[in-house]
Amino acid sequence: MIETILNFLNQKEVIQATVVIGSMGLFLIGLFGLLTQRHFIKLFISIEIMEVSIFLLFIGLSFQRGLTAPMLGDGIKTFTNMNDPIPHAMILTAIVIGMAVLALGVSMAIEYHKLTGITDVDKMNRLRN
Amino acid sequence: MSSIYFIALPLLFGFAVPILSKIGKDGVAYTSLAMQTLLTLLSITLALKLDSPIVEVIAIAPPLGIALVVDSVSILFVTLFTSLTLATSIYYMGGRDKIKYKNENKFFILLNMLLASAIGLVLSSDIFNIYVFFEIAGISAYILASYNKTPEALEAGLKYLITGAMASIFLVFAIALIYLHLGTLNLALISQNFNTLSGEIQLLIATLLLIGFGFKVEIFPLNFWVSDIYEGSTSLVNGLFSSIVSKAYLFVFFHILYLLLPHHSFTNFLIYLGVVSLIIAEIVALRQRNIKRLFAYSSLGQLALLFIAFSIQTTDSIYAGLYIILAHSLAKMVIFLSISYISDRYGSEDIEIFSTLNSPFLKWVLVISMLSLLGMPLFAGFVGKFLLLKTLGGMGSYGVVGAILFASLIEAIYYFKLIGMLFNSRERGESINISPTQKSILSALAIAVILFGVAPFIISDWLNVASEAMINSHIYQNIILGVKI
Repeated sequence: MIETILNFLNQKEVIQATVVIGSMGLFLIGLFGLLTQRHFIKLFISIEIMEVSIFLLFIGLSFQRGLTAPMLGDGIKTFTNMNDPIPHAMILTAIVIGMAVLALGVSMAIEYHKLTGITDVDKMNRLRN
Repeated sequence: MSSIYFIALPLLFGFAVPILSKIGKDGVAYTSLAMQTLLTLLSITLALKLDSPIVEVIAIAPPLGIALVVDSVSILFVTLFTSLTLATSIYYMGGRDKIKYKNENKFFILLNMLLASAIGLVLSSDIFNIYVFFEIAGISAYILASYNKTPEALEAGLKYLITGAMASIFLVFAIALIYLHLGTLNLALISQNFNTLSGEIQLLIATLLLIGFGFKVEIFPLNFWVSDIYEGSTSLVNGLFSSIVSKAYLFVFFHILYLLLPHHSFTNFLIYLGVVSLIIAEIVALRQRNIKRLFAYSSLGQLALLFIAFSIQTTDSIYAGLYIILAHSLAKMVIFLSISYISDRYGSEDIEIFSTLNSPFLKWVLVISMLSLLGMPLFAGFVGKFLLLKTLGGMGSYGVVGAILFASLIEAIYYFKLIGMLFNSRERGESINISPTQKSILSALAIAVILFGVAPFIISDWLNVASEAMINSHIYQNIILGVKI
């Protein structure tokens, strides 16, 4: 019984469907937060959740079961039976960039709060006439 | 001469600042100026002697590599960006004894970072590289927008950052889908294989790209934040946003679109988006009282016009679009540089400062650039707008022609109101004397506006080749794939 369930879960299609449904669910949670939350920090968290959901989708779909990490050495001289390293490299870069933007945003929000005491995007209306 | 210098030198400058600041009070400022002069000269020489496209591959290990493509259209943008950044730097240096930024070194680092990333955006032919430059340009723009750290500036920066972060999510999504389906990040290979995808996936990727870049190219309905950014940031920075940053994003968006979906019905939809965007921007501009906000809406209008021009996807319309880019960048630079001086001297940003302005020189350069933006004959803006209307008329799209003329009429109302304020006023403020350096920069830009208006033939050959290179995806594929990596 457990064997059949595990085999079912190990199928490529099932893994991919789980990844797609899961990450899109996470994307929608982030989008919901972005549209409903007005606090700076909560907004940034929502944006980050959306970003992470895309990263998960990309890594999850490009990962293939049974293949090893793309590293040479220890007698391994060719790139056979290895996962594609490019998505990982890309997502690593994207995570770093995302974190840099987030840190900048949070620091700006803190500066803004120090000057005005506002933590709510809707109350941020000095520039509206 | 390697094209990597255009990106590497401005970035290296940032790392060299701690050393440069040791060599004297103005070491950083003058090194930045010297480097930008060098890059401007290099780009002009490269543009003049470029007979065939240059592809440079920075190979990591075959087949991985990052290619930079210098062809007739990308070198046009590189020349424009380097020379306008240089103009901004010289203008800033000319008025430095009166207006000086706090932590000036940081300002120069950001300015050069913006230049490097804008050049990187137009040169790179790898879609993930484009994402990286997209973000570098974004980060430097967010910090520049909030540079003064007043509540207004920080508000502008925060709004810019939040919208920019959303834009990058959609761009990463599009890139991830492209890689998952095609297994490559090279624009030429993507362009070659994109039509093997099913129609729905093609449309999904195009829509994600449109949302991602839509925030950055300031198209309706994703442009609600733009006027706030312009109002909150300083005018010097607004000039950069209007003439460099938005132009780089616009070029990259249409460059990718032409490569992925040549002559697709998707672009018809973009024409209408441009028309709606144009009319809304011009109508809202009418009732603005803040001078920076007014010109922000005018920039939105011009970008919408460019959106229409590039969406038509014919060689003639792209020629017109490139001409409008040239005219708009030069004219907006003049306007924002002048405003940065005027509003600082009179301590106000209300449009009333135009009626108290007491400087014949500034009046004339402002009038020249406003008439050019309006599309009056003898100025550069006229050539672009006229060619665009001619193309549209030739295609029989009289509705779009009517919309553009209607928008120009509204534009005329507020521009002539401003020109009227400049010349018909009883009371004048104290007279202001702009420094000779600043005067020479403004006159050089204004002369360029007139020169491109009366003698469009001086760059027509270049623009012809450039528009052909931009629209024809086969040329681009051959340039890159012809090179052995």
